[in-house]
Amino acid sequence: MARVTTENGNLVVEIEGLDKLWSLKSSLTIPLANVRGATADPGMVKEPKGLRAPGTHLPGVITAGTFHQDGERVFWDVRDGARAVVIELADQRYARLVIEVADPAATVDLIEKAVTR
Amino acid sequence: MMAMGRPRGFDEETVTAAAAALFTTRAYDGVGVDDLVRQLEVHRNSLYKTFGSKRGLYLAALRWHVSHVLQPLTQRLRSEKDTARFLDAVIHRGELDLLLLAAVERAPADAEVATVVTSALHLLDEALAETPILPPGRTTAITLSELLGERLRMRVTTASTDQKGNL
Repeated sequence: MARVTTENGNLVVEIEGLDKLWSLKSSLTIPLANVRGATADPGMVKEPKGLRAPGTHLPGVITAGTFHQDGERVFWDVRDGARAVVIELADQRYARLVIEVADPAATVDLIEKAVTR
Repeated sequence: MMAMGRPRGFDEETVTAAAAALFTTRAYDGVGVDDLVRQLEVHRNSLYKTFGSKRGLYLAALRWHVSHVLQPLTQRLRSEKDTARFLDAVIHRGELDLLLLAAVERAPADAEVATVVTSALHLLDEALAETPILPPGRTTAITLSELLGERLRMRVTTASTDQKGNL
């Protein structure tokens, strides 16, 4: 599970509890200007994830850490796919983040309101 | 912010147009990314890479609809000889539906959608002011509110007739 907030023009993603261990990350800070959008996407967990390095992948239990696919790096921290949010980034180490949050609709709203198109 | 030369495995405009059609038939919250991936025949990651999010795609679809459907509609209205018949056709077709749905569903909750909807309403208002339409038996020109209201009522009529047909 992750907690998403915005502060000083940044998107802050804090990985909570033991997921820090599985994903080998405790937090990510991304300038909002480099955030392209967020979507609640329960179907995302069924997608192929690519190669894990480093991180933890126990299919059906947890997907956490950095995954490489089609030349892109994707950060995952998801146990319950029903609460997965996909955050698309631009010009960052990660092409996108797939994280589980307590309230997907609220997280999507927070991020989408901060992104202007 | 959209980077140039990003490789895309599909035609962006085709997908945007298809998304507009999909969002016309179903509520925004009723369309999931699974539906978009299946019905628009695009890869999930390509969808995210191109539009940023589901809302990004929705905004692109709404803007596409305004410039490719509603703007041509106002142009046709200006060149139309039998405006009353044209109006009747508009009420029976679905060109106004995405705008109607956006106005009801998304605009109150989304400032960017509200901006697009407001400018589209202005566009239609202007066209109707420039080419006043007198429906048969009336002495005053039809207003945009009447036009949108008639389309709403027509949707109800169509649905109830369809249902009767299915029974």
